[in-house]
Amino acid sequence: MPLDFNQVGQQIKQMGGDLRQTANHHDQLVAHAWAKLEEQSPRWEHWARHAEENYLRSPWLLAAPAEPIINRYQLPKFPPNYCLAAVDGSQIDLDRHWAVECYLINLGLVTIQYGQQPYSKLHSVPALHYNDQELLLRDKDGRSYKMAGALVHAERDTREGIALARLAQEILEQSTTPLVAMQDGTLIRWSLSGLDPWVRAHFLQRYLDEGLAALRAADVPTCSYISHPKAPEVTGIARLIVNPTLNNTNKAEGLVDPYPGINDTKLFGNGWLGDGERSALFKSLSKINVEEYRDHAIYFFYLNVGSELARIEMPEWVAQRPEWVDLIHAVAYDQAHRGGGYPVALARAHEQAVVRESDRRVFRQMIEQALWHARLNNGSSLKQDAKAQVRV
Amino acid sequence: MTEQRIGEVIEASSTQWTTGAYELLNAPPFGSLIKAGCHDNDLCIYGLVYDIRTGSRDLGGKAMVRGGRRYDGSEFYDGQIYSEHPDLAAVLQTEWSALVIGYERAGRIIHYLPPQPPTVHYSVHLCDDDTVERFTQHCDFFRMVLHANLPIADELLGTAIRHAAALQANRREYELYAGRELARLLRDDYDRLRVLVRMLTS
Repeated sequence: MPLDFNQVGQQIKQMGGDLRQTANHHDQLVAHAWAKLEEQSPRWEHWARHAEENYLRSPWLLAAPAEPIINRYQLPKFPPNYCLAAVDGSQIDLDRHWAVECYLINLGLVTIQYGQQPYSKLHSVPALHYNDQELLLRDKDGRSYKMAGALVHAERDTREGIALARLAQEILEQSTTPLVAMQDGTLIRWSLSGLDPWVRAHFLQRYLDEGLAALRAADVPTCSYISHPKAPEVTGIARLIVNPTLNNTNKAEGLVDPYPGINDTKLFGNGWLGDGERSALFKSLSKINVEEYRDHAIYFFYLNVGSELARIEMPEWVAQRPEWVDLIHAVAYDQAHRGGGYPVALARAHEQAVVRESDRRVFRQMIEQALWHARLNNGSSLKQDAKAQVRV
Repeated sequence: MTEQRIGEVIEASSTQWTTGAYELLNAPPFGSLIKAGCHDNDLCIYGLVYDIRTGSRDLGGKAMVRGGRRYDGSEFYDGQIYSEHPDLAAVLQTEWSALVIGYERAGRIIHYLPPQPPTVHYSVHLCDDDTVERFTQHCDFFRMVLHANLPIADELLGTAIRHAAALQANRREYELYAGRELARLLRDDYDRLRVLVRMLTS
């Protein structure tokens, strides 16, 4: 039965009107939040301290400003020569309906050099895992965790960080052009937050030690690019300013949010940042960042790349070097422009990494053929077969 | 003379094949004689280059306009676009089709369709002058081009004959020989013959 567009059309029209009303209300809230932030900007150190002391009590995500809150910076001079290393990944998750338990992680690695000696290298590295040691994580008490779902995702994230460090090291052995290492998405491993502490540490320590620490040792400005960010951390500072004691004002509903529905994209989307301008630097006060990232704690700024607002994240040891922050500011903007709104190196890395549905089908067929050749029982589940074809 | 390896077979049938270039934009000229390898090691397949094209490697991908003014005010066009976007070399691909016009087995050139098509992923070489001269000594391949049902068949054959004639010791004699063969093959189609002869004599 096709969708009844007569009915849906009415509902969409209603939605459009409602959203306009909400947007008008949001504009007023954003103006109010900016007034607070501007007023308190000179006291940024006080609010940084206050946020760091209260991040656990706060019902809202907070950030600690690393400089006056309303600082903004014009696009720095563009580096004539630079090289970019970028990594993205995808996975084929373990599927219990398959004839054999295995998962695959595919990493897309990209090197692009701009300037006097333009050069590019794009390739992908797939890795198949099927041994018991690879399918089960065992902690020191003998508890085991199956590598599936969130754990395969965590493994992929970890590998991306490690692969970026190795790629950067390889590039540095061959080139003296200024290098920037860039990842897609956040450097804060939010997805690990909900996992068992031992599992979280298993992934995070490798990511920090073999990824970020190796990049630091190699002296590589490292960052990540988040398109269309949804984070509410700078808005969290405005919320804290309005309610510094974080006391309950309404016992039935808990702490009342003075800026409901407002996030940082809406906050900075009011024209505060001109084309190419970036915001001040802030330290993320998410629990995992404060408590487990140590000297790799993640800082961020917002950047108006013209077509949208992007969030650029970097570890503390990058944020502390103004010349690196300028380089990342210029490179992120340049990349977004070359890529028509999104960094071209990240788009290329994604193209290298992506596993399409047709690839999944071929992968499964290859596994079944391999089992057949090895004279192993091809015991894929009948449920999976039934889902693969419509019987009429 | 060593023949230059220029690409590899990426699609093949008994009558034509597609070559993917090893180097972006580096295709042999239209009408060139090329040869492709086959998993039957004795066999080497000859073809004439036509329909040279460059586009996205990704199925469904499309090149976008990239030249113009940059955000820093500078302008870039043409070759500068490739310098400004070094990744293009990795995401664009130059390809061309080749019409099969014969094969070689045990050192013998045969102007008929080969028993097997070229093998996908086997190398494609640009034929050197000696090979072109040897292959085009006889005009039996004309028939295969004229009957290939290609819209550009006459252009392709005319260009190939001109390449071949330029390498012959006695160019005039070769053109007369080719002209007679064309007259015989196109005796029922005066218009096509006239266009081809004009190509040879212009």
